[in-house]
Parts: sequence; structure tokens; C-alpha cells
Amino acid sequence: MTSAATAALASEVSLEARLEQIAAAGYPTKRDEAWRYAPHAVLDRLSFGLPGTSEDEIFFEIDAQIPALNGPRIVLVNGVFHEAYSDTTALPLGLDLSMPDCATASGAASAAGSAANSLANQVDSGVQLFADAYLALNAAFSGDGVVVHVGPGVHLDTPIHIVMISTLTDTHNTSCSKLAIQVDAGSSATVVETKLGIGSELVGANTRTTISLADSATLDHVVVQDVPSAQVHLSRTEVAQSAKSQLRARLFNLGATYGRLAYEVHLAGEGARVDLSGLYFGSGDQTLDQQISVVHAAKNCTSRQAFRGVLDDESTGVFNGAIEVCPGADGTDAMQSNDNLLLSNRAAANTQPRLEILADDVACKHGATVGQLDAEAMYYLRTRGIAPDEARRLLINGFADQAVQEVGIEVLRTWIAQRLGHGNE
Amino acid sequence: MLCVEQLTASIGGTQILKGLDLDVGAGEVHAIMGPNGSGKSTFAHTLAGRDGYEVGGTITLDGVDLLQMEPEARAAAGVFIGFQYPVEIPGVNNMYFLRTALNSVRRARGETEIGARDFLAIAYEAMDLVEMNRDFLNRAVNAGFSGGEKKRNEILQMAVMQPRLAVLDETDSGLDIDALRVVASGVNALRGAERSMIVITHYQRLLDYIKPDFVHVLVDGQIVESGDYTLALRLEEQGYADFVNHEHDDVPERPMSGAGT
Repeated sequence: MTSAATAALASEVSLEARLEQIAAAGYPTKRDEAWRYAPHAVLDRLSFGLPGTSEDEIFFEIDAQIPALNGPRIVLVNGVFHEAYSDTTALPLGLDLSMPDCATASGAASAAGSAANSLANQVDSGVQLFADAYLALNAAFSGDGVVVHVGPGVHLDTPIHIVMISTLTDTHNTSCSKLAIQVDAGSSATVVETKLGIGSELVGANTRTTISLADSATLDHVVVQDVPSAQVHLSRTEVAQSAKSQLRARLFNLGATYGRLAYEVHLAGEGARVDLSGLYFGSGDQTLDQQISVVHAAKNCTSRQAFRGVLDDESTGVFNGAIEVCPGADGTDAMQSNDNLLLSNRAAANTQPRLEILADDVACKHGATVGQLDAEAMYYLRTRGIAPDEARRLLINGFADQAVQEVGIEVLRTWIAQRLGHGNE
Repeated sequence: MLCVEQLTASIGGTQILKGLDLDVGAGEVHAIMGPNGSGKSTFAHTLAGRDGYEVGGTITLDGVDLLQMEPEARAAAGVFIGFQYPVEIPGVNNMYFLRTALNSVRRARGETEIGARDFLAIAYEAMDLVEMNRDFLNRAVNAGFSGGEKKRNEILQMAVMQPRLAVLDETDSGLDIDALRVVASGVNALRGAERSMIVITHYQRLLDYIKPDFVHVLVDGQIVESGDYTLALRLEEQGYADFVNHEHDDVPERPMSGAGT
């Protein structure tokens, strides 16, 4: 960390307690398994501080840049709510949104905003021990954060879109933001997080999402990280699932020089189900890091992890996927797969399944592959008159599309496909 | 039309084709039969241009030297190979694949490309030929297809590509009698005065459905006998033993009873 960042920390006396752990434990290093492949020299250049004020004059053609999801939209620029870019009018009944340093928007005529605010406080007070220094920094500098609260028995058709934009500020280069999602009993909703950035300088984002699913709640959660290639993106999501709740998460780790998606799911109630899938698609010298963890803490829960990586040039992909089955979590059904396609002999895929099974009645499968383009498939396509470049493109897109097709929203599928360079299919 | 002279092919120092000669005229259907390991598939892939073989001799199609061409250029020149084991390509839509293939050869020939709507009509017509359900167009290429579906998909591709020379490598392997009938009637519908075919098979059974003009016996990398359809019937009765010099372990299994005439 730079001296400027240290100065920023020191000046925030009130944050002292929260930052104690950083001082005590220090920053993660290559010796920490979860940070083994991170570019620590780049991370050392990140500087943190409190969110500034939102700048209206930043040049960003928001509608041209983000997928058009036609639902409520909250845009944060460097962690600060940007009202002009956001759209929280005409919220459906049962949906409450609260923005940092801002009035609560509510779909109900009642004063449900206070519930949302107390939720934000809950999230904060829940942070007792930080997993690492970046989480502590997030707690220190992310402010109130955004809260999405779906009331009981509500089924939302349109996705809620949270857009986070990172750009350089005068005082520090890394911003922190926070999002809390609560879906009440029996409700269903879709939340899309789109992470973008502006500029060619080193800029960092440190984002934290906490998700709480009540009994029989259903959430579709899509995360698309596509910040510029000079930026660092550290994203962390923590999920707690009650009985019979269902989560489908689709993670796309595409941009950044170091793009990190950490996703931790705690299956706390019986019969909960989580289905995680994702794609990382790297080129240049990108490092795209997935740190996935599912804890089966209750009986008869189901978890799926299916991640795909496409790695070109000298990019590096990391999949560190844990399945932890607690004592007594019988009837656990857990599966994990990680498939990597290397397009260059300088690209690398590091895949590590971590299984810790402390219950008896458990069905658990995992598998990982690292391979190159199938020579037999290339030949097959070429015998059909398809030139090698086109054949290669078809096979790469076919591999990646199997992850893209997991996204339920067509507009978003198309947007991702275009970002991957095959929007013409 | 197709002229093969003294064709040799080796892989990893092992010679598989040892001077193969074959002339195929326009509109003719030639069957190549032979025991396992005689070089049938190697011959097919030498025509299609697979990497990894050391090839000698000449192959010309309408006077054009095929051996100097990449597989995609051979396809543009009119060569089509039906694979014994069609490759599964997960994630690649069958319709997109077919249209890309057709437009690739059209582009290479300097012809205009075919738009999505016009292509659909071509695809539907081809699908009717092989009695394929239309939802196959929206599935991934061969992914999860049964053996019969894969082979029908090969003939579908052939119908879309409309090749000058079709080489069908053991198209009958793994097919039940109903699938065999569908595949064979698709092939027969594609016979024409300007299209030649080489049908490679181990068993005579397929030739009950696709009646060849000529039958050749390939043994140990060379054509050892040629004749008309009756040669296939003779092989059905006697097996390849007469043509094979070495031990009995090279004698193929006899076909299932009842498959003959």
C-alpha cells in the first residue's frame, strides 16, 4: 500500500477499530492460498479512501454501455449513488431499494424504508472477523451501501440492475462499495450486477455483496465484471440460504488486469439449493480468479458449481472451488466441474478443488479439465469448408456459449455474447 | 472425374496405403470393401486431407491436384467426407454450423452467400430427405445424438453441401435396420449424373440399399480385386479370407445372419 493510502487510513480516526486487523494480519500474500495467483505488486499500488461526491460530468454513455434490462436501475460511481444514471421510479410493489446517503425508494406506499435501513446496519454489525484486509477495507470505506429488499410473497418479473462504475478520483485510486440483497420468504427476484469502468489508469474496485434468502425464497444473481484492462476488480459475495431457498448465480469474469470473483454460499436451512456457474475469458496478461466456496451446513441441500475458462495469450485463470460438508449435513448432493480451454502455450489454468466432507450420507462429485482446441473437431469443421480461423472461432464460442446460455435474460446473453466477440449468432 | 494413382500413405513410419489406384467417373457409385485394418478409413481421410499422413502418388478431381490442398479447399472443390465417427461439437448450433459451412464453400467459389431465411428452406428440404426432426437444427452439432442421428446428420450435411464427390466412410456402422434404410434412401436421392460417390463399408448389407456400379476389395493398402455388384455378394458368402494372406485373426466377423440377400 502506498503512503498516500496509509495517510488516508490514518486520517480516519473513527475507523481505527475496523482497521486494526489490517495492521495485525497485514495484506494477503502469495503464501495465502486464496491469493496465491494474485498480482501482489499491482495490489500494492491500490490506495483506499472514503467515497467522494459523485461527478455528474464524467463521460460515460451509460445507455450505450450497459445491457438494457428495463427494470429498476441503481448506478454507483466509485461507490457513490449516481441519481441521474439511475432509475428507481415506478418500483413494483414489495420492492424496497435504499441507496447510500439517499432517501429510500419503495414500491409500497408504506414506510418500508426503515426496514431497509436496519438491514444495512445488520450487514455491518455482522462483520466481526474479516476474512482478509480487503474485506476490512470494504467495511471501512464503503459507506451505507445499496440495499435491495424484496418483501414476503413477492414475485418480481423484471431484473433489478445494480451498475458499479470505477474511475480515478483525486484522493485515492480504489473505491469500495457494498450491496445487500434480502429476499423474504416465498419471494423471487433477479438481481444483475454489472461492473464497468472508465479510463486507462490503474483503478481498483473493492465490492462486497451480502445475500440473505429466507425460507423458500428464490434469487437469480448475475455478476458481469468487465472493467477496463488496466483496472483491478475485487468482488466478494457472501450468501446465507434458509430452508428450501434457491439461488442461481451466473458469474462472468471478463475484464480487469486482475479480476477476482469470490463467492461464498452458506446452505444453512434444510433443502436449500444453489446452482453456480461462470465463465472467465482472459487474454493479454489478465489474471482472472474465481474463489468459490459452498458450505453444506444443513441436511438435504444441493449444490452445483460449473465454471469454464478460456485463456489466450499469457493470461492466467484460477479456479479455487471448495465444497465443505459439515457434520450432520446428511443427504448432501454436491457437484463441481471446472473446464479450461487454453488457446496459447503461454496461458495457464490453475484449478484446485477443495473438498472437506464431515458427514456420512453424501453424494459429491468433482472434475476438472484443462485442454486445447480439439484437433479432431477442427478437422471436422475444415472438411466442411470452414477455414481454420473461422473453425477456431466457432469452437471457442461454442465452449464459452455453454456458460452464456445459462443466463435466463436474453438481452444479457446477447450483451455478453457481443462482449465475447460473437454477437452475430 | 476422380483419378487416384499409386497412392501411398504412412503414419508414424507405418505404411498403410501401398500404391492404390482408382478411377471414379461422373455419376458413378463405387463401393470399397475390405477387412479391418486394410486402409479403408485412411483412404477416405487421405482424400479429405487429414493432417499427419505422409502421402505419395497423385489424387486429382476434374484434373485438379487435391493433395496440395487444405481440407477446406478440397471441400470447396467439391469433396465431402461422411465420417465413421462424426465429431460432437458442444455449444455450436447445428444450423449455424451448416450455414457457415455452405457459405464458406460458396465464398471460396466466388458465389454469393445465402441469407438465414433462404438457408432455412434448403435445410428443411435436406432434413426431410433424412427424416430428421426440425428441432435438430437448434441442437449442438452431434452433441448427445444417437449413433443413427449422427449418421443422418452426416447425410444432411451432404445434402446441404451438394458435393461433386462424396466419400462415405462406414456410414452403416452402428446403424439399426431402420436407420440404415433412412440413410441409404437419403444417399440414393442424392445420386446424380454429376455426383460421384465412394461408399466404404465392411459389410455387404449396406450395398443392398445403395447399389454400387463397381465394387473394389481393399486388402493391405491395395485394391486386390474389382468387379460389379456380384463381387459384393461373393464376399458376403466367402468373407475376405481368400484375399488375406496372413493368419486367421485378421478375418473379420461374419455379418449378422439375415442381412444378406
